[in-house]
Amino acid sequence: MRRRIDIENQQYEVTVFGRPEERFFQVADGAPKPVSLSLEENENDAHTIQIGNNRTQIRMAAKGEMVYASAFGRTVSLCIVDPVEQAAQASGGRGNKARSPMPGTVVEVNVTAGDHIKKGQPMMTIESMKILTVISAPRDGEVLQVHFEPGKTFDKNAVLVTLVEKEEL
Amino acid sequence: MTTITKILIANRGEIACRILRTLDRMGIPGVLVYHAIDADSPAVKMASETIKIDGQTPVAAYLDMEQIIAACKKTQADAVHPGFGFLAENPEFARRLELENITFIGPLPETMELMGNKIKARSFCLENDFPLAPSVTESDSEEDFIRLAKSIGVPLLIKAAAGGGGKGMHIVRDIDRLEEAMHLAKGEALRSFGDDTIYAERYVEQPRHIEVQILADHHGNVVHLGERECSIQRRFQKIIEESPAPMLAPDLRNLICETALSIAMKAGYHNAGTVEFILAPDNNFYFLEMNTRIQVEHPVTEMVTGLDIVELQIRIARDETLPMRQDEITSKGHSIEMRLYAEDPENDFMPAIGQLLTYQLPEGEDIRVDNGFTERMNVTSAFDPMLAKLVIHGMDRKDAVKRAICALEKSLVLGVTTNIDFLKQILSHPVFSKGQIDTGFITRHAEDLLPTPLTEEQRNLLLAAAALSHRDFIDPDFNVPQPYATIGNWRN
Repeated sequence: MRRRIDIENQQYEVTVFGRPEERFFQVADGAPKPVSLSLEENENDAHTIQIGNNRTQIRMAAKGEMVYASAFGRTVSLCIVDPVEQAAQASGGRGNKARSPMPGTVVEVNVTAGDHIKKGQPMMTIESMKILTVISAPRDGEVLQVHFEPGKTFDKNAVLVTLVEKEEL
Repeated sequence: MTTITKILIANRGEIACRILRTLDRMGIPGVLVYHAIDADSPAVKMASETIKIDGQTPVAAYLDMEQIIAACKKTQADAVHPGFGFLAENPEFARRLELENITFIGPLPETMELMGNKIKARSFCLENDFPLAPSVTESDSEEDFIRLAKSIGVPLLIKAAAGGGGKGMHIVRDIDRLEEAMHLAKGEALRSFGDDTIYAERYVEQPRHIEVQILADHHGNVVHLGERECSIQRRFQKIIEESPAPMLAPDLRNLICETALSIAMKAGYHNAGTVEFILAPDNNFYFLEMNTRIQVEHPVTEMVTGLDIVELQIRIARDETLPMRQDEITSKGHSIEMRLYAEDPENDFMPAIGQLLTYQLPEGEDIRVDNGFTERMNVTSAFDPMLAKLVIHGMDRKDAVKRAICALEKSLVLGVTTNIDFLKQILSHPVFSKGQIDTGFITRHAEDLLPTPLTEEQRNLLLAAAALSHRDFIDPDFNVPQPYATIGNWRN
């Protein structure tokens, strides 16, 4: 099985397969190498991970595609990216959706469905932790839908405003 | 004497828990109002009675005076403790309660109006010869304001008159950006406090934020409980506070505390409050603002003085005389408080949300944890992202710092990104251990405070651990033997 795993804002293609007695492991491209690889569960979210001669204690908890791990004196989040989501992200770059950079609340909405807007035009003001941020139009176009009204809260990466799909020339 | 038999807490999270702990100790029943989003909060379980409140947003619910007063009447609470934030410094709320014969545990509405309005407070200090940094306030003419602000010169700090808690503040270093900063500050001020009046003052470079805890009863007795240093801040938000302030000469310390005392006395202050100062590198200090409520960082004062400020607030509200004189208040050892925030220091400190899958905070002698969450609770973006306060006491500052780092090493939060690693980096920094801190510390040492990068070996161990714990990787159906694995992204 091969999946993209994101750690510290970097992406890695990770391949693991095989039976516990003989596992294959590879990070990034290249042929997966056979290696002694094991994950032992201890008590209280504690695990021991071993790759070849390297082993270490890790505290770990997982939810959905996220794995939260504490090791080497720090806490790190890993995201095991679903290939369907990965494909959607790749095609989302045409600037049809304005997403929230962080969780927050809508303060003011400046546009409505049907409005023609110019790139950089303020569409919405959001607030998060004492900071106001203006969400601007990613390109010239027409507003399809504003997804949140003033007072509503949203999570990070939520789609705030969708623009009418631009035809590819 | 004023009778107080049941106290309603118009607040939430860790401060609600903390107040309830004192009520429990004093044998006074506590009523808690709560929004549905806080239903799993530990405070809800601690209160004798709870009343659900609602609002367009969760914050709006805690700002709804009608619902809170109705909750008092329903439960026959004869006093309200407002905590901090929300309605704690709202004179209208204090007056409404007064009309209903419910005691507001705090200062008089008139005092809140005087000191809570930053411009009035500054005029008050000016009239009474208390030290102030040069400033200019808004008048009818925006041109005059801009002209006078420019004459003070950069760097300049634009602040909200009705503000506090670090909101609506902007530093202007380039005079051409003054109007932009004014506009942003007014917007934030209007939104946070319902009042867009701003003022501008000279910004002191490398200032230390030193504040003094005040307690005053209704019989003319006013005391100070010493100072706190709150210079470890990011974007005006405090992260680490301590008492006493490091590297502060005794004479200067006494002068600052006495000045705070004089300000409180002159203002006719009652109950608990804090006078905040900016201490400049040349040892001049200036009145910053007065907070007419209990503050987030009050535990460090409690740890060194051995006093319970909430208890004293209640006793003062009951019209009792202060149980101690100034010369009976002593400070022992050193205390450090670390604010645990749900935020991602590696992504510009953006607030983090998620579920607290693992939430283990340290316990022990000389460790106090004021906590608003328990394991399995969800952290949302509805409120500010403080999860808990870790407060340490040590024999001296060196000991306190050592214990603080130890406490962080014993803390484990999984499921929501927190600033635990960032706090460790700050406390371990040589400049911090020397006590040479000021409000520019975090910006100045930003590079040093970044996490140590993972080695390739460490990274691979983490990737492997994550992979092996995930169903996709270990489900035998997904195991693909060579050579099919090299086909690439392959699906049924």
